[in-house]
Amino acid sequence: MNPKVIAALVGKDLAMFRRDRFFVFVSVLGLVAYVLVFWLLPSDVDESVSLGVSLEGAASGGFPASNGVEIITFPGRDALAEAVTDGGQVGAGIAFPRGFLDSVAAGEPTTVEVLVSAQAPAEFEGLLAGMVDQVAIAAAGGTPPVDPATDVIVLGTDRVGDQISFQEQMRPLLAFLILIVETFALATLVATELQERTVTAVLVTPATVTDFLAAKAIIGAGLAFAEVVLLMAAIGGFAGSPAIVVVVLALGAVLVTGFGMLAGTMGKDFLSVLFWSLALMMPLTIPAFGVLFPGSAAPWVKALPTYPLVDVIVRVTTEGAGWVDAAPSLLLLAGWGAVCFAAGAWVLRRRVELL
Amino acid sequence: MSAAIAAADLAFSYGEVRAVDGVSFSVKPGEILGFLGPNGAGKSTTIKMLTGQLRPDAGTVEVLGRPMATAREEIQGRIGVCFEEKNLYAAMTGLENLRFFARLFGLDGVDAEGLLARVGLADRAGDRVADYSKGMRQRLMMARTLVNTPDVLFLDEPTDGLDPVSARAIRDLIRAEARRGAAVLLTTHDMHEADGLSDRVAFINQGRILALDTPENLKLEHGTRTVRLRYRDDGGTREEVIALDEPGAEARVSEAVSREGLVTIHTEEATLEDIFVVFAGRGLDA
Repeated sequence: MNPKVIAALVGKDLAMFRRDRFFVFVSVLGLVAYVLVFWLLPSDVDESVSLGVSLEGAASGGFPASNGVEIITFPGRDALAEAVTDGGQVGAGIAFPRGFLDSVAAGEPTTVEVLVSAQAPAEFEGLLAGMVDQVAIAAAGGTPPVDPATDVIVLGTDRVGDQISFQEQMRPLLAFLILIVETFALATLVATELQERTVTAVLVTPATVTDFLAAKAIIGAGLAFAEVVLLMAAIGGFAGSPAIVVVVLALGAVLVTGFGMLAGTMGKDFLSVLFWSLALMMPLTIPAFGVLFPGSAAPWVKALPTYPLVDVIVRVTTEGAGWVDAAPSLLLLAGWGAVCFAAGAWVLRRRVELL
Repeated sequence: MSAAIAAADLAFSYGEVRAVDGVSFSVKPGEILGFLGPNGAGKSTTIKMLTGQLRPDAGTVEVLGRPMATAREEIQGRIGVCFEEKNLYAAMTGLENLRFFARLFGLDGVDAEGLLARVGLADRAGDRVADYSKGMRQRLMMARTLVNTPDVLFLDEPTDGLDPVSARAIRDLIRAEARRGAAVLLTTHDMHEADGLSDRVAFINQGRILALDTPENLKLEHGTRTVRLRYRDDGGTREEVIALDEPGAEARVSEAVSREGLVTIHTEEATLEDIFVVFAGRGLDA
């Protein structure tokens, strides 16, 4: 590799990028728009939770709302459980068993199920257990001879005490959308070079195919990295462990550069480059969308190359994960980055050599 | 004087199709060799092998005494290639195109403005190539070819589709480079261009060199010289053609010239295309 030749090629590509008003517009607009979107999203977690109650065999009602807790009654335990499950009508509920009041009054042991949504605050478990005791005291007309047992059931992925605001949920998605824009920019640069055969003119000078690929890798990964770092800086993405975030973004930039080379090699004009860029990149956004919906990621989502990228961003920026926690995902991302970059570079090299 | 370009038994196939089949020739410094053949004859494939873009299936290439197989980058630093397609960076200006390619050659102090002036583009140096006409782009291609003051020039159809003024400017530039001492390999299917520019001409067809000599020798050895005479005859004109190489031609010409009613007399010699047909059994545009 010849550093001077690579520098000349990178300088030329930067000039070409700056002259392309579409990409300058999209890059700047994307950055500004995503930052605005991020800061306009709610940054706090809604701690108030509607409470559901089911008392089988007894009439509904009689549970007054208090302290901002809205109480909704349900005809049975199953209906309540369905309402509590992620995204349901209420955040938590108490399912009193049939004959609960009689059992308490008679001093017989009984068990009450406390159903808690994975998104509900941790304090809810204690609060609901206390409510069960209060109901038992009221039913027995004093301290019952036998306290009813409570069985806490968490529905959905347990994030009690560890909720992620919608703003934080959007962070990996916004980062990935910026990477897509820059992937498209690289793909267009590559496709133009191939279609107009300017690469042929370059390769009859002392520049080699390796120099050409190195320059494209630098410009592709560099643009993607610079843009996504700017975005993350603007949306507070470096608040936790900035070094880990920088590393994961660099690896992500290398990963998408491989896809940019692939799309550029397969595309013939603006529209086909756009098509291939989206066709390759859209499936890779699934992990970032997955963060918006609480629950464990499906195994096939975890198998996507971008999953470790999103995983590290989420864990570092919202859970305060350190190097040790992030290491497995970083290694996996590095592996995916190497594979995708090598695939993109190989396909582009073949295409250039066959021109 | 050692050859600037030496090709020996070059062969290359695209799949099952044999594009170049045992091509051998050499070009001396300061010499212009015209590669004459129809489209698909193997001219461009040969140039690709000579410039290091393609690795031959068989045979060897030496440029400036160095083998292409092992000294490709060194050779490419001393050659200039003008492609048939106008592969310029359209979003950049003419000046930026030249400066960029100069940097690829590791040259910082290239007089890019001077080069543009040489090809008549000094006043358009700051304009984007996208705004150039076809002739201007071709002239910029030639300027780019010369950016490293190359010792060997490979020119693939450098005047194809140009207006007469632009074509003449390019031919003058090629002659000037040859006078400077550069070896020039010129591919064309324009027989007049090959005839007017080339010191020697190679006929290539179906991947093989059919003949290689000076245009004059090819025409003398393989063409027919004739004298065409026109007479006034009963209110109209009559034409007579005498082949000079046939026995008794001299006497027939003397008799014809002295005949009454002679209007015009022209000597004619074979064109390179006529000679090409003799060798290839087909025309250059076939």
